[in-house]
Amino acid sequence: MNFEDVEERDGIRLSWNVWPSSRIEANRTVVPIAALYTPLKERDDLPPVLYEPVTCKPPCRGVLNPYCQIDIRGKLWICPFCLSRNPFPPHYRDISNTNLPAELLPKYTTIEYTLSRPAQVPPIFLFVVDTCMDEEDLKALRDALVVSLSLLPPYALVGLITYGTMAQVHELGYAECNKSYVFRGGKEYQPKQIQEMLGLTAQNRAAPRPGQPMPPQAFGAARFLLPVQQCEFQLTGILESLARDPWPVASDKRPLRCTGVALSVAVGLLETTFPNTGARIMVFAGGPATEGPGMVVSNELKEPIRSHHDIDRDSVKHYKRAIKFYEGLAKRASDNGHVVDLFAGCLDQVGLLEMRSLANSTNGAIVLSDSFATSIFKQTFLRVFNKDDQGYLQMGFNATFDVQTTKEIKVSGLIGHAISAAKKSGCVGETEIGIGQTSAWKVNTINPRTSEAVYFEVVTPAGQPLQPNSRGLIQFVTHYQHSSGQMRLRVTTIARNFAEAGSPAIAASFDQEAAAVLMARIAVFKAEIDDSPDVLRWLDRMLIRLCQKFADYRKEDSTSFRLSDNFSIYPQFMFHLRRSQFLQVFNNSPDETAFYRHVLNEEDVNNSLIMIQPTLMSYGLDSAPQPVLLDSVSIKPDVVLLLDTFFHILIFHGSTVAQWRKAGYQDQEGYENLKELLELPVRDAQDLLTDRFPIPRYIVCDQGGSQARFLLSKLNPSTTHMSGGLYGTGAGAGAGAAIFTDDVSLQVFMEHLKRLAVGAQTN
Amino acid sequence: SGGQLFTPGEAAPVQAPVGGSPYYGQQQQQPEYINAPGYAQPVAPHGGLGYSGQPVDQLTNQFQQMGMGGQKQQLYTTNLLTSPPDPREILTGPPEINLPPGATLSQSPFVNAHPSYQRCTVNAFPSSSSLASKAKIPLAVVITPYKSIKEHEEPVPLVSDMVIARCRRCRMYMNPFVSFIDGGSRWRCPMCSLVNEVPQMFDWDQTNNQSLDRWQRAELNHGVVEFVAPAEYVVRPPQPLAYVFLIDVSHTAIQSGMVATATRTIMESLDRLPNQDGRTRVSIIGFDSALYFFSTPPGVEEPRMLVVSDVDDVFLPQPHDLFVNIVEARAVLESLLGRFNDMFKENHDLGSALGAALQAGFKLINNTGGKLIVLSASLPSTGPGALKNREDPKVFGTPKESQLLQAASPFYKTFAIECSKAQVSVDMFLSSPGYQDVATLAALPHYTSGQTFFYPAFNAARSEDAVKFAHEFGEVLAQPIMVETIIRVRASRGVRMSSFHGNFFLRSTDLLAMPTVPNDVSYTIELEVEETISQPYIIIQTGVLHTTCAGERRVRVVTTAIPTTSNLSEIYASVDQVAVATYFANKAVERAVMYKLEDARDLLHNKLVEILQAYKSSMTAAGAGASAQLAISENMKMLPLLILGLLKNVGIRQSAQIPSDLRAYAQVLLTSLPAEMLMPYIHPMFYSLHNMPAECGTIDEQGVIMPTPLPLTTERLERHGLYLIEDGQTIFLFVGRDAVPQLIIDVFDLPNYETLRGGKMTLPLLDNPFSQRVTAIVAKVREMRHGVYYPHLYVVKEDGEPPLRLWALSLLIQDRADVLPSYQQFIGQLKDKVNGNSY
Ligand SMILES: [Zn+2]
Ligand SMILES: [Zn+2]
Repeated sequence: MNFEDVEERDGIRLSWNVWPSSRIEANRTVVPIAALYTPLKERDDLPPVLYEPVTCKPPCRGVLNPYCQIDIRGKLWICPFCLSRNPFPPHYRDISNTNLPAELLPKYTTIEYTLSRPAQVPPIFLFVVDTCMDEEDLKALRDALVVSLSLLPPYALVGLITYGTMAQVHELGYAECNKSYVFRGGKEYQPKQIQEMLGLTAQNRAAPRPGQPMPPQAFGAARFLLPVQQCEFQLTGILESLARDPWPVASDKRPLRCTGVALSVAVGLLETTFPNTGARIMVFAGGPATEGPGMVVSNELKEPIRSHHDIDRDSVKHYKRAIKFYEGLAKRASDNGHVVDLFAGCLDQVGLLEMRSLANSTNGAIVLSDSFATSIFKQTFLRVFNKDDQGYLQMGFNATFDVQTTKEIKVSGLIGHAISAAKKSGCVGETEIGIGQTSAWKVNTINPRTSEAVYFEVVTPAGQPLQPNSRGLIQFVTHYQHSSGQMRLRVTTIARNFAEAGSPAIAASFDQEAAAVLMARIAVFKAEIDDSPDVLRWLDRMLIRLCQKFADYRKEDSTSFRLSDNFSIYPQFMFHLRRSQFLQVFNNSPDETAFYRHVLNEEDVNNSLIMIQPTLMSYGLDSAPQPVLLDSVSIKPDVVLLLDTFFHILIFHGSTVAQWRKAGYQDQEGYENLKELLELPVRDAQDLLTDRFPIPRYIVCDQGGSQARFLLSKLNPSTTHMSGGLYGTGAGAGAGAAIFTDDVSLQVFMEHLKRLAVGAQTN
Repeated sequence: SGGQLFTPGEAAPVQAPVGGSPYYGQQQQQPEYINAPGYAQPVAPHGGLGYSGQPVDQLTNQFQQMGMGGQKQQLYTTNLLTSPPDPREILTGPPEINLPPGATLSQSPFVNAHPSYQRCTVNAFPSSSSLASKAKIPLAVVITPYKSIKEHEEPVPLVSDMVIARCRRCRMYMNPFVSFIDGGSRWRCPMCSLVNEVPQMFDWDQTNNQSLDRWQRAELNHGVVEFVAPAEYVVRPPQPLAYVFLIDVSHTAIQSGMVATATRTIMESLDRLPNQDGRTRVSIIGFDSALYFFSTPPGVEEPRMLVVSDVDDVFLPQPHDLFVNIVEARAVLESLLGRFNDMFKENHDLGSALGAALQAGFKLINNTGGKLIVLSASLPSTGPGALKNREDPKVFGTPKESQLLQAASPFYKTFAIECSKAQVSVDMFLSSPGYQDVATLAALPHYTSGQTFFYPAFNAARSEDAVKFAHEFGEVLAQPIMVETIIRVRASRGVRMSSFHGNFFLRSTDLLAMPTVPNDVSYTIELEVEETISQPYIIIQTGVLHTTCAGERRVRVVTTAIPTTSNLSEIYASVDQVAVATYFANKAVERAVMYKLEDARDLLHNKLVEILQAYKSSMTAAGAGASAQLAISENMKMLPLLILGLLKNVGIRQSAQIPSDLRAYAQVLLTSLPAEMLMPYIHPMFYSLHNMPAECGTIDEQGVIMPTPLPLTTERLERHGLYLIEDGQTIFLFVGRDAVPQLIIDVFDLPNYETLRGGKMTLPLLDNPFSQRVTAIVAKVREMRHGVYYPHLYVVKEDGEPPLRLWALSLLIQDRADVLPSYQQFIGQLKDKVNGNSY
């Protein structure tokens, strides 16, 4: 089985592709059976299916799929999940072995139905724009927003909230002049108050005179959320005249910024007017909330914004209250199918850590940039509005994600950007991993990158004889609002064999890449709750147990330790995961940590692996570009390195190349090869940027330059200032650069692992 | 027929009224009683109260009569039973003030303040409290410190050399009644007798740098004078004038046309707003259930609307740009005013967050002071200061009625006091089609020295309503208000200010705080004789420390010297019945609001009886015994009718029909109108037009010649006649049912009486002399008095709609109306009480 082919077809990677047949055996395999599933994985060959799916009777509702048993003569099918017999609907009467509907064809284990009832409301985009920023930033932001209007479908509804000391909801439907509703920044408004204050309730109004209908535009949401094609002119005008927050700021103060109130007004406006439909609240924060509910730091500059150490010491004044406030908003937004995107444009932190639940539970985007004038922001923001071949936005809305299993396995939970839909079906298992106690989740926006990790447990008691060819089935059903307004249903059904305890088929089916990513999600999920030392110890324990179970070795002889190919780089992934910014938070700000973890939970296996273990390419004058070890030994004076950490793309010139470059040889005749050496990594870097979201930070540096630390921090410190060169080559010329760190190197880590796995004495 | 004379028979061959009565244009016999004793003095025919525009020769005359030689006032007793009241009596001034010789050395006829500025209920002051209580005449002073100045009137003289001499002890300002001693180097205070140094520069002309004849100084020659105040009178630099308009934009307000009228008026008044220093600023806040602010950042031509719905916790949506300078931001301001009504034309909100609007306006100007001008068409329904519709016709006419005249919420008074401290005044223009709780809302203007205006059933679709509203609102805007004002009234030793009435906040025992002072508003202060006064005369001096709207700190000083007496008859002979009636108007309202309306009426009745009894027992031979007469001094002869007028006024009257808003508004007028306006309000003016003398309605050097006012009784109505009845607030043109078609043609441009409709009307100006004379008289009625009021003109047909007819006829107070007695009955009742022993 080729994992990549399966991924191409079904958007899925599993940790194990043959499953242990009993609960006990499954526990012994250490890494749980889990899937990293990309529901909207682009697949060009999917046929348009313009009819409703055939489903099993309630409460099962399993969807007809190629793994169902079909009785051609009896015109019925047997649901593999509940074993019910279901008659085919009348219009299926002509099916035969040679005349099958698409959903029964083996190549369409993944299929997408277009449902007949379209969405009632077009997608909604509500911009929430901070105005406490300098003119240059504000202008860049205004420009980006204006451009984005042209990228929206003309029927999409848009709205605008601006905020600073106070929050303002702009009434775009008002023709006489610019008009906005102002909310006090320091106050916590109840949802009902917001409704009333925006005039969304029809209280205390003059009745229309007999025969005179009430003008529909006079109240209600239509005043604030209008089709782009109708309000583009007015909204552009408002955006272009958007000025910096007018309230004075003393030199020893931060501006008052009521991000919390602005967000609660946005959430309140949408939940009243458009509950349970696709909507995005896009927040553009130029700094931290310093006023009102959700404030992250006071407006006194002498009070620094919290660090990981402060949070560790539990000494942050506003932290818990802010977390609680934003979690409350996140719940309201996510319950209504609405999305919150957080765009930060600030050199300092804006409080993403506190606000992260908004994006995490609604699958909104988090984008960090130093300023809205950077291309990171601009390009990333516009990339949100990427379109497919038909010109539709590559985003679905208000999705529900259902998992159905056959009886041998149950759902433990999901880790990803979703909330529980509280479906306590028979598929729900006892073990809880991530968001559990349910077999369905709400994913408020979904795009072709959205990847959810779903964890399973085997529930068959040990000792039951395994039926021949016995297999388990999992069906993923994703119901969502397509940006065209259609409602769609994507169904993926997979089947995997069970194997007896000890069967080599199990070990051979291990997908170490998927497993690493799936374990990384659990580790990060735990880290969000527990102290990270505990998480690291857990990771270590799991790794050792896995190795004990699957490695070949003689007891207490670490030199005898061997791992088969499909396990061989797993420890290395774990090594890098332990050192990664996902678990080692102290080198980053709390906002960065929240951002990195958020992105990890969004991406598929390949991208996640880059984040866990960055890739390093080496370019030399005499050799073809080649991947090299993420190790300090790869640093050489005459090469150019291209590092991709997913978040950063870095081009590093070895000291000699750097000197040449400085001298300008590449522009001289006869040095075309140097020119090529310098340009090739740049071209490759551009290729990497094409599909990425968010746009990585792009760094070009020279050996010995200050920016080079980005590279050094990622490299395995095989040659530290402490080691004498473990590989025997030493820190000598041409054999890598010493890294000033006390971290253990991969080699030391592996030695420890081997000893522990084989049960040898450690020293 | 030529000119304005014509015969009805020729004009229209209809039957002349029975008896062929004379009609307009024809000389009529003077009523018998006009020639009664004591009425020999001709009354100036040009209207007004007779003192507002007195020509100099008349004043000189008065001066000569004033008799500085200490001439005493002669007492003439008259019998009320046989001498009917003559309305012209109210137009004559008060009895003269006869100061003892040497009270002033000034030769000026203006040494005493003109009564239009300051008048005392008596012009001979009782020297002891026992005498005062024996006389039963209430002691009070009525001040109108900021009377407007009409074209032909003298401005208040200004002393600009910043030399302000004041008594070191009692702080009295230098005035014509001080005496200089020690060769003129020191002066004795006529209030407390302290000897003070004359200030160094007192005799120095700083402009021409030469010595000055002291007796040229204005403060030694004028009872009303204004000083430019030096630095020690300045608390803070003059603030720019600020007007915040709080405009009701509810569905009701828009539908009534109030918003369109108000904004148009503001637009048209932008050049009339006081703005000498070019700093005047304006802000406009709309309100319904929410508040609508308008931001006008510099360089932006379109205003931006900022809605604040959080009316329970109001805040300003922006730190600046909510105000505009009316010169610098003229374009954007006009743009806003021009489209303001359209902005809300689709508004269906019926709420009113007036309290929040007030708080917002206050936040805008609490550090500069200024005016909040409320234009409201609804009962405040939400947010702070929300009120309930408590109108209950069942309690009309019962003792519970006065509760409806008391404030329903403490919000407005509390807020008013906050305003007063911050130098903020509030004006109210109320125009709700329903109950608006004038009683509660009026507290705000009351304590902040603002004004309340009321437009019941306002509908701008009727041009008369729009014109009246726009005129009065426009006049208020154009007034050169005084700002940051405090008033203190001082009097000679022995005299104490005991109680204060009017629109202000009493900051300490005797300091009236007035953030802004409008023109032509009166305040009444009760006086008490605290200890026996040995001085031959007392001084009552009102000091008004204020900033002009041009930004100059000044003190206006109004001084009245009144001789003292131990002689009861001199007191009676000096009574100013107009001042006494003004006092009673204030006292009755106070009583009505604090207790019951009935108590107010009892008070008026009892006090009048007390006066008559006291007069009878001490001034007539009858003493305590029964008498066939009801005696009073000639100068008080109108007092019973004025009291009867008060008893019949909407603010006081016994009735179960009067909506409490109308009552409350009448009470507002009774306690703030200056005497010139108050007198017609309680004693209306009644003219016969169809038969007025030929010169009436034409113009002489004094302006339009008015007909002679008639006694207020329907006995004077002829069925073919045309009459004008007015009380300063409303004008009625009463048309007899037999009015000849020519009269209707001439005045109304309609073929005959039948085609004439009763109701509000704008008189057409027609090409015939009679039309021109009538319209001239109506115009004169509207402008002859000081003040902003622009009375509605109602045409009333004798057989027209009963409510309108009854309203018009209720102004004829000498007639019996329902339970209220006729003048004759009233006099009879008084006589019985005076003769009886119940008092
Ligand atoms: Zn089923
Ligand atoms: Zn003194």
